[in-house]
Amino acid sequence: MSGVQIPQCPQMKKLKFLQYQDLFWQLTLREIKVKYKQSILGYSWVILAPLINLAVLSVVFSFLLKVPTGNVPYPIFLFVALIPWTFMSNAISGATSSVIANSLLVTKVFLPKEIFPLSVVASKMVDLLLTGLILVIFLIIYKISFYLSLILLPLIFLIHVILIIGISLILSATNVFFRDVEHAVGLMLMVWMYLTPIIYSIEMVPLSFRPLFFLNPMTGIIDSYRQVILYGRFPDWLALSYSAFFSILLTFLAYIYFKNRARYFADVI
Amino acid sequence: MLFNMKKDTVVEFNKVSKKFCKGQKLLLKEALLDFLRPLKEDFWALKNVSFKIKKGESIGIIGVNGSGKSTILKLIAGVLTPSSGNVFVNGRISPLIELGAGFHPEFTGRENIYLNGTILGLSKKEVDKKFDDIVRFSELSDFIDTPVKHYSSGMYMRLGFSVAVNVDPDVFLIDEILAVGDAAFQKKCLDKMKEFQKQGVTIVIVSHSSQLVKDFCNRVILIEKGEIASIGLADKVILKYGQP
Repeated sequence: MSGVQIPQCPQMKKLKFLQYQDLFWQLTLREIKVKYKQSILGYSWVILAPLINLAVLSVVFSFLLKVPTGNVPYPIFLFVALIPWTFMSNAISGATSSVIANSLLVTKVFLPKEIFPLSVVASKMVDLLLTGLILVIFLIIYKISFYLSLILLPLIFLIHVILIIGISLILSATNVFFRDVEHAVGLMLMVWMYLTPIIYSIEMVPLSFRPLFFLNPMTGIIDSYRQVILYGRFPDWLALSYSAFFSILLTFLAYIYFKNRARYFADVI
Repeated sequence: MLFNMKKDTVVEFNKVSKKFCKGQKLLLKEALLDFLRPLKEDFWALKNVSFKIKKGESIGIIGVNGSGKSTILKLIAGVLTPSSGNVFVNGRISPLIELGAGFHPEFTGRENIYLNGTILGLSKKEVDKKFDDIVRFSELSDFIDTPVKHYSSGMYMRLGFSVAVNVDPDVFLIDEILAVGDAAFQKKCLDKMKEFQKQGVTIVIVSHSSQLVKDFCNRVILIEKGEIASIGLADKVILKYGQP
């Protein structure tokens, strides 16, 4: 039998949760502050990047390719999906390299290693909040009412975040052993984006292909965001439950995988 | 497996071995190549090491480079997992394996104290309480709001040491670090360590400097090629190490 056993006296046990909670916030704060400190434009980049992305895609897809969006203008139809996607994309690519980026800590101090990818995901929520504010301004400009269905937004977001955490745990742990992951993740996210109805609508997908599209857990999530924000409708419950089930199962397995791999991080990092 | 540990044992190694695979496969390419010619070289950094450290003891671990000293420290710190055997640790550990691990160069001294403090296991409130002590000990109050990238290496170490000693550890791990900083600060560090000794803090020092170990430790472990060559009173073991 092998293993490290670290029993703690009772008063330490009580502190343990609190102690890692504080560390979690400190690391999240570090992620946020570093981004702000290293560039002149600082946090404006967070808003600038998706806005430019939005402008380019809007021009291309409003004029060249007509996307049926109901009574909603295309830019806002796109933005509602682009914001959560950008959040996920940034969170996953940041989290993937997070364990490596903290290699000094991994090899020197005993810490629950999942704190690194998790704090990256948390720090990206600040970006999401900022772009979310821009979205609210857009909604007002385009005179889209704020529907009662918005109360479902936290639920959709929760499912989304669980999915992000699951993927982040798997990729960040695997990246310690195979640095290829870091290079592949951008590519993977790009392909995934085009397979998800973000720049187009699910109605454009031929009926025979649709079930296949809904196997992608992001299809249900993105579609739900649109339904509750833009159209004031309930989400497609079947699709959303599938996404929820998929995300929870994935994150559960991802956590077991991460914990198992984490024991060997310091050996190879 | 349960240990019959006496209350006063802080660290216990029970037939601990640690294996490293030579040539880590960090890229898929290498892993594939490795698969094609499965030639695995294992390196045993530690072989069947057993010892106990009692509460309040100051113990030195000596040996030449690559003998496995730092591996022992990392196993105590809980960073490495043993390949076989058991490591048992009781209490809060302040790893001094590398001072200032986790410092961010863009952050000010103040921000790094909070970051490093929570990394070493303090809560934010505890850092609040100890903040003044840490700054006073480091003698860096004039520079505390300067990003640490502008610090000299000596200042960097001073800040790192000041955080580490204020964590109130039960076990203090030291890896060759007291060689840094100017003479005055070195003495201050040594005095602080002596104070810890009096307070009954367990200290584990890894070093090839026999002098430091001789000054500090009542017991010494001599490691050779991953095995315990000798263990016992400082003077006797250091003689075997062959250096005065």
